[in-house]
Amino acid sequence: MPLITLDRTTKTYRHGSLAVPALTDFSLAVEAGEFTVLAGPSGSGKTTVLNLVGGLDRPSSGTVMVGDLDVGTAPAAILADYRLHRVGFIFQSYNLIPVLTAAENAEFTLMLQGVPRPERRRRVTELFTELAIAGLEERRPADLSGGQQQRVAIARALAASPDVVLADEPTANLDSHTAEELLDLMRALNARRGVTFLFSSHDDRVIGRARRVVRLEDGRLVADSAAGG
Amino acid sequence: MSAISYAWRSLWRNRRRTLITLAAIALSIMLVQAFHNLSVGVYARMIDDGVRAGSGHLAVYRDGYLDGREETLSFAPGVLTAQVRALPGIAQVLPRLYLPALAQSSYDSRGILLIGVEPAAERAVNPFLKELPEDGMLRDLDSRDAVIGKRLLDDLKLAVGLKLVVTAQHRDGTLHSELLRVRGVVKTGIADVDGSLLMVGRDRAAQLAGMPGEIHELAIILDRAADESRVFPALATLTANRRELSAVSWTTAMPNLANAIKLDYASQKFIFVIILLIVTIGVVNTLLMSVMERLREFGVVLALGSSPARLRRLVLLEALLLGTVAAAVGCLLGALATWYLVEVGIDLKSLIPETLEFGGVVFDPVLRATWDLAWMARITVYVIGLTLLAALYPAIKAGRVTPAEAMRHY
Repeated sequence: MPLITLDRTTKTYRHGSLAVPALTDFSLAVEAGEFTVLAGPSGSGKTTVLNLVGGLDRPSSGTVMVGDLDVGTAPAAILADYRLHRVGFIFQSYNLIPVLTAAENAEFTLMLQGVPRPERRRRVTELFTELAIAGLEERRPADLSGGQQQRVAIARALAASPDVVLADEPTANLDSHTAEELLDLMRALNARRGVTFLFSSHDDRVIGRARRVVRLEDGRLVADSAAGG
Repeated sequence: MSAISYAWRSLWRNRRRTLITLAAIALSIMLVQAFHNLSVGVYARMIDDGVRAGSGHLAVYRDGYLDGREETLSFAPGVLTAQVRALPGIAQVLPRLYLPALAQSSYDSRGILLIGVEPAAERAVNPFLKELPEDGMLRDLDSRDAVIGKRLLDDLKLAVGLKLVVTAQHRDGTLHSELLRVRGVVKTGIADVDGSLLMVGRDRAAQLAGMPGEIHELAIILDRAADESRVFPALATLTANRRELSAVSWTTAMPNLANAIKLDYASQKFIFVIILLIVTIGVVNTLLMSVMERLREFGVVLALGSSPARLRRLVLLEALLLGTVAAAVGCLLGALATWYLVEVGIDLKSLIPETLEFGGVVFDPVLRATWDLAWMARITVYVIGLTLLAALYPAIKAGRVTPAEAMRHY
């Protein structure tokens, strides 16, 4: 049984009286442990898919299932709990909280979960070592490079051991060398930890490193390498 | 890192804005505390002066006397005076007789208020009589000595040692006169009092009016004004078996003073409300701006799994921290200001006349505060509560953020 299933999912945004389709009749199944990239140009619907899977948005029609949870219709409180325990987010612009240190940012979800401070710090220290940013724990985001900030964001996404990590253009703000390094790191984490990675990109070098590529255009699925497309 | 630490650091993202808001809250607490304490001090002084020269903290009258000060409504205190003196917390008990009369000198005559008093007891508490030299006070209850208001003395062209005749209506309806000699002169600063006051021994006044052993007022001075609510029921119990008598507090016996203080404090309260309202608007502005600047961050926090309620609590926690720190600073400043106003006070001698009258008593031009710690604590709690109230809308706003929208648009 796939971990993530989108079945004929449509999402239409409303701008006043104007209906803007972001995703149309989109179906996708992702198995646990996959490392999948959603590829396509800007406005193709990649972020919409990630938002729907992450429970940040609701579909206009169709279903979005993650495990046995119907993410598209679950009540807000269930969705908050789902995001807290089962999903990790990595954003294009890192979105670290500026007033917290790198370690505090990484342990933020653990704090929300009520994990005791020593346990939080132990897990974050472990992740920082794995992500090669050990020693930067007490730095503020403003004192870190883009690559370091994104590694902290990855640590934050993985700290609570989620089922799935959703990354929206995680390398878009990084130079090509750092972007490739980060992709390799994410692949290694995927292999080592067995976490499902679903991320979006329009960068061919990034797309080339994915095991499965799902291509979107104008909100429709146009190719899926897993299906031989 | 804890929620408190996150809230505290968030509060200081815009250091200048937070400092300005904190200063506004702290200064408002200081102003409100200091001015309240100053008012309480000034009112306490006025009340003390008023009750000592006037009706006492508590008083006993014949029913209806206060309505028109009808001199026929007198009563014989009997054992009541001694019983009241025996109550705990009583500093002095002053039996008095008030008689409308006519004072005549060789040159002129004036309508006066003849007051029959117990000289030693009055001198012990009355601030104007205390200032008289030893040989300027009434010698006993029955002497022909008179203490006279300064203006009346001048109007009648009298001087200490000179004689005057006082005529009053006897209980039998006839007019009776007494020859008195001026022994002392008081100057209260209150024109009406100084122009009509003539004080004699109680027995002399009672003899003139044909009401021996009777009085119109049993004025009671307490050791501490705050004991009034405790002593009043005991006094009411003592007078319960004398149905013609009523025990009243100074607010009933001296409504002019009580109302003047009420009116003055009401206007001050209005200013306090305005100050606190302005501060509340400042807090709303600070927290709302802080929330609006962080909508994207709130979207991220929600995406990471926080509930909207948790976000709301975070904003309220920021407000609580802001309010608590500001309250601590404000209390410190308020205490310093009050200390200065208690120890040094504000001298208005150069600005107001020394005989300025307020509510029937002379306004002391040196204003001094009194510590009202319970009220200081209460206003501090109110301000913290107001800060939390001001944070409600920003908190609700933060809780309404939708993560996808926030990250898309901010």
